[in-house]
Order: sequence, then C-alpha cells, then structure tokens
Amino acid sequence: MSFLETILEPGRLSVLFQPIMELRELRPRLWAVEALVRGPGASSLEPAPILFDYVRRKRAEAVVDRACVTAILDAAVALPPSLDFSMNIHAVTLSRDPEFLCFLTDAAEARSIPLSRLTVEIVEHAPEWADSGLAEGLDALRHIGIRIALDDVGLGQSNYRMMLDCKPDYFKIDRHFVKGSHCDFYRQAVLESVAQLARRFGARVIAEGIEDPVDLDTVRSLGIDLGQGYLFAAALAPPALASSGFWEGPAPSGTTPEANRRPRPWARTERREEV
Amino acid sequence: MTKRLLIVDDEESILVGMKRYFRSRGYEVDCATEREEAEALLSHVPYACVIADLCLRAGHGADGLDVVAYVGARQPQTPVVVLTAYGSPAAEAEAGRLGASVFLSKPQPLERLAEVVGGLVGSRS
Repeated sequence: MSFLETILEPGRLSVLFQPIMELRELRPRLWAVEALVRGPGASSLEPAPILFDYVRRKRAEAVVDRACVTAILDAAVALPPSLDFSMNIHAVTLSRDPEFLCFLTDAAEARSIPLSRLTVEIVEHAPEWADSGLAEGLDALRHIGIRIALDDVGLGQSNYRMMLDCKPDYFKIDRHFVKGSHCDFYRQAVLESVAQLARRFGARVIAEGIEDPVDLDTVRSLGIDLGQGYLFAAALAPPALASSGFWEGPAPSGTTPEANRRPRPWARTERREEV
Repeated sequence: MTKRLLIVDDEESILVGMKRYFRSRGYEVDCATEREEAEALLSHVPYACVIADLCLRAGHGADGLDVVAYVGARQPQTPVVVLTAYGSPAAEAEAGRLGASVFLSKPQPLERLAEVVGGLVGSRS
C-alpha cells in the first residue's frame, strides 16, 4: 500500500484547531479557529509540512483535500456551534476539481454545519493554479456564503497576482514577518504595508506565529487586529481548547477545566499597557 | 546526539527489518517506500545517512538513482548507500557519479550494512 493510499483510508488523518484571536480589545478574545491536519500518527509524514510536501509531489492535492475536508468537518462537530473555523484548500483543487464545491456542501450539510461558519484558506506552492478556473471556484465559494483567506501572504505563490485572483476577505501574513517584528524595522514595514493593502481590499489581516507579547504589541500598533500563535494557544483538539478556557465545554476525562487552565501569557501585555 | 537515517525501499518487509535493526543500534530511523515520500522527508529533515534501494518500483528502472540525485541536491554532505539485487557496472557508475558513497549488492548481512553506515557517519555501529 502506498503512503497516499494510507492517507486516504478513513480515520488516518487527525485534526487540531488553533485559536485565532480578535486583538481589537485590550484582552484578546477567541474569534475563530483554524483547522490543522496531521498525517497518520507514528508515521514519518505526520508533521503537516512533510505530509503536504509529499501530497504535492504526488500531485494529489485534490483527493487529499477532500479527505482533509471530511476529517475537519468530522472534528468540527465538537466545536461550539457559534464558532467559525477555517480550513486550508489548495488553489489547484478549486481550479481543477469541478465537483469539489458540491462535495464540500454535501459534507457540511451531512453534519449540520452551516457554510457561513467556514472560511477557506487558499494555499498554493506550485504555479499551475494560474492556468485555469480558480476565479470561478472562488466565486462559487462566495456565492454559498464561504469566506476566502489567502494563506502565507508574502511567501511563495501568495503574491500580488494571487491577491488579485483571490480578492481575499482575510490576508494571513506568514509568521516569518511576525516573529521578531518588535525589533525589526523592515518586518514592521512589511506588516504595515500588508495592513494598508488589506484595507484597500476591504479585507482584514491575520498575523500568524505570534509568540511574544512584544510582537503582539507591534502587530496591534500597525493596525492588525486578528492574530494566532503559541502566545495564545498551540493547535489543540476541541476538548483541550475547552478545558483551556476558550469556551465552556467538557474537559478530557480525568481532568478539570481549572486544573488545565493555562496561564495566559498575553496578560503580561495587558499589565504593561496599564502601567 | 542520535543520528538519523532514512531508508528507502519499496519492500515493506525489508523496511521493517532494517528499521528495527538500526533502531536497536541507537539510530533514529525514517522509512520511505517511494521516491516522493523520500524527497518530502529530505526536504524537511536532516539525515546522517541515506540507504536507498536502486529499484523502487518494478518496471521503472533504477529510479532509486533519483533519490541519490535528490540527496546530492538537498543534503550534499549526507552519504548515500545504494543497495540493489540487480546491480550492473553501469548503474554503479551512475550512482557514483550522482554522489552515492557506497554501492552494495543484495542480500547483504545487516551487520555488514551497519558497519558501512557506521563508518560513513563516524559512529560506533
């Protein structure tokens, strides 16, 4: 059995969710979560970067994206029904799999998940997306109420042309530009320019990879009001997110919400701002 | 620091045996059954040594040489041991040209293979 066949077996992919925080108010609050898929447990290809590198080399993005959608929607059933979530989909899947939209719609409906809760994050590492019907695929997504985010802004294929083709509702700026931005004039310049560009598009920016309270201060000061990263939470399963206090919900067996409540590092930022 | 090996072979039974053997000798071991899997791993994980079968898929010739070439491009300092049951002087020469360090015929006692790998990575094996 090839590794691709293994991936496509039901139940072999696992899904975690990383909180995306609203940063407008002094105390960041949960705004949505991003679904992050992991490869089969205990395999060399469990980490997402290696898993999807393999998938792209096999040119199997469309079929694996479908498997990911199934796994994500199965896992999303455990999220609070009012919480929005996003999932990564390759641009080539949208442009080359005409049945993908029907598949996604049917899969969400089967689990009673309203499409209005969904944001599709467009990822792409190969240039082939440019040659076919990506625009039509995105229009169709919007038509059924799904929002569009452009992932990895600033890296690889997430360039100006992709911005024009996607006209995203959200620009997800890569962690490369966020980490260390508090002491790097050039990173600040990039963040500021993306924030301005997003405003002109009528979009919002999500800063990825916020790990340090001073970087949080920086992205806020540059007009970015959504963010995610280890400062707030790693990617976790829904019960662990609930027990960490992100929402009311059942704790994993043998634990209590209070015992699992992690210290909130961004509180340090609040204290500093109050002084 | 534990040294990490990548073993590339399309025969699961060989992979399982080699993985168990090299783990017992203190190595971390990743396995791949196909070229794309090996390349994805090589793009993200640094290896002390790669052991690659010459023929990864029946009827596709010496596609293990693609793995040798990829190691040369991505991790030029990493030694490669090429194993084959169907060796030919031409294949051996090509493997050497692409950067393979050692060319061994199958079957090969695991102790001998461990000796070769140990010599290449500079550890006791």
